[in-house]
Amino acid sequence: MSLKIFISVILGIGAGYFFLPPTFFASTDIIIDIGLCLLLFFVGIDIGKHKDVFIKIKNIGFKILLVPLAVIIGSISGSIVAGIILRMPLNEAGAVGAGLGWYTLSSMLLANYSTELSALAFIANVVREIIALITIPMVAKYIGSLESIASCGATAMDTSLPVISEATDSQTTIIAFITGVICTMSVPLLLPMILKL
Amino acid sequence: MGLRLLIYLVILSIGGIIGYRDKVSEGLKARLNTIQNICLLFLLFIMGIRIGIDEKVISTFFSIGLKATIISIFTVSFSILFVHLISKYIIVKEDKIES
Repeated sequence: MSLKIFISVILGIGAGYFFLPPTFFASTDIIIDIGLCLLLFFVGIDIGKHKDVFIKIKNIGFKILLVPLAVIIGSISGSIVAGIILRMPLNEAGAVGAGLGWYTLSSMLLANYSTELSALAFIANVVREIIALITIPMVAKYIGSLESIASCGATAMDTSLPVISEATDSQTTIIAFITGVICTMSVPLLLPMILKL
Repeated sequence: MGLRLLIYLVILSIGGIIGYRDKVSEGLKARLNTIQNICLLFLLFIMGIRIGIDEKVISTFFSIGLKATIISIFTVSFSILFVHLISKYIIVKEDKIES
């Protein structure tokens, strides 16, 4: 799927750069809006299917919700600090961080706001996923197992989960999954909210 | 953006309720996944087109990549730091063993 995602983006860039007139840009607004609504609907179904998450949270204890909270606060504040260094508008930098590693949705949510920011969110969140996948085993070994979940963000429930499971224990894997679900639920709400600030 | 957020929330909730109540049949579930992927790939293609058409983005693509890398390094580091803090001071070891 990752390869297909990259091919789609690259083909799009090629088509836009070589074949399509700049006037085509305006007509993509409505396509993105409709597509985004469809995508969010599917995301909702996916989240709804994981009903056992609530039971798991109850069993482990509500304190565990602090992990996704720390991931969210850490991601947003980290990107804001980077935004200060890069002299970017802080709401825009925060919005990129609020993507929590979910590069497809975060870039889509920003597409109608600014193409440049959308591209930035896409690349930043792809890089985040790559960093996560590479560093999980090292962070788990030298810093701590809970900390290894932190870099994954929303991807802790799918792409990063096998790596976490390999590098840590079964309980951390469950916490990672819960963290991923909560991060996933937060992105579509948090990102537009931060952008509006 | 306020109305937009409300629309997102409503659509997400409708999807969530349908998923939670298992209203989707098995056959449709498999197809849903394909539809979802096609929809996503098409949207990313459109996003690519927007990037390709936008001269400003294309001409600054590498500087965007550098900015993106800096942002992601900070994002990851701060996430690890915050989880480390709560893991050290709030979720003590006994909690982890107890559960």
